[in-house]
Amino acid sequence: MTHVAPTTDERTDLDLVARWKAGEQRAATLLVERHASALARFLASIGARADVDEVVQDTFVRAFASIDGFRGESSLRTWLFTIARRLVLDRRRAARRRGEHVEVQEGDVATEYDALDGVVAAETRERMRGAMAALTPTQREVFVLRVNEGMSYREIAEAVDTTEGAARVHYHNAMRAIKEYLDD
Amino acid sequence: MTDCPNGEVRDALPDYLNDRLDTARRREVESHLAGCDACREELALLRTLRVTMRRAPAVNVEAIAAAIPAYRAPVRRGWSTGWRVAAAVAALAVGGTSIALLRARTSDKPVDVSPYVIGVRTPRPDPAPAAAPPSTRAVEAPTRPAPVAAPIQPVAARELAMASGSIGELSDAELSALVDDIESLDALPTADVEGAEPVSVAAPEGI
Repeated sequence: MTHVAPTTDERTDLDLVARWKAGEQRAATLLVERHASALARFLASIGARADVDEVVQDTFVRAFASIDGFRGESSLRTWLFTIARRLVLDRRRAARRRGEHVEVQEGDVATEYDALDGVVAAETRERMRGAMAALTPTQREVFVLRVNEGMSYREIAEAVDTTEGAARVHYHNAMRAIKEYLDD
Repeated sequence: MTDCPNGEVRDALPDYLNDRLDTARRREVESHLAGCDACREELALLRTLRVTMRRAPAVNVEAIAAAIPAYRAPVRRGWSTGWRVAAAVAALAVGGTSIALLRARTSDKPVDVSPYVIGVRTPRPDPAPAAAPPSTRAVEAPTRPAPVAAPIQPVAARELAMASGSIGELSDAELSALVDDIESLDALPTADVEGAEPVSVAAPEGI
């Protein structure tokens, strides 16, 4: 059984929300600074390339507009990820209705994973990119939230609209697929 | 690359990596890692993948923060206010219908119900009322002779016909004028729900 402790960030998020509701606009800016990069990373991982900045802004505007609907049962970050993911799906549906081609290109997704310069060798980086690109969209979504954002299965289930058990299966299938790719 | 049979520890590795375990659980995982090559390899792989994925596309934090409006507390209407409004609407509906029915039963005059009908337009000057003499059957009272000297205005006849449901008794000319009336009605404006601002409705004082 995994024991996930609430982070200091989660407690501070609620404090900042309370301060923003009390009229301190600076608190909203701090929340954006805290979560915008993670949201952008996640959006890039699920193939929202060109309009990441726009979707991140839309996510925050919608979240703050309906902040009274946030009960604090999950972390604010999980809630933001849920909103962001739904926005991406809505945009894809709208694009399909307009007859636009919206299929996510696996290669495009992989190119979003730029390494921090000098930390990971170029060859290793390419292999990791290839391994991530080999995952299914759902496996990649779950794996990114689990490994990159440190979300629990319960939080992932909420963010990607699935069950805790299914999130766990997707994670382990992704891990197995990555190992197989790297062993080849 | 082999898999450790201890599923619980493997499950906890991403939490360990992201420092999301409590102290006791963290020690358990570290104790396992000390003696398990497979889990150490898996943890190293997760760490590398995390670094590889870590960089995010640039976003304009200032612009995003600037787009967030100030907080507006929702105005909640009490349940008693809601019931009062519902009761008032019901009383008006029942009362209005009763008055109309009472007048219809006690009067020998033709009943002009148009004032009670919501959405019926007020009469306007008709450009060619004499082109086709309107039928008066819809408004004739049985005990009175048909009015000859003062025929009812076509628009009034149309309104009465609409209100009383006797549209089939209108002449072709009246029907044509009725269609013109309908076509001249303003269309409802389209609503842009996507960009709509929430509307704050202030509760009446004293409620």
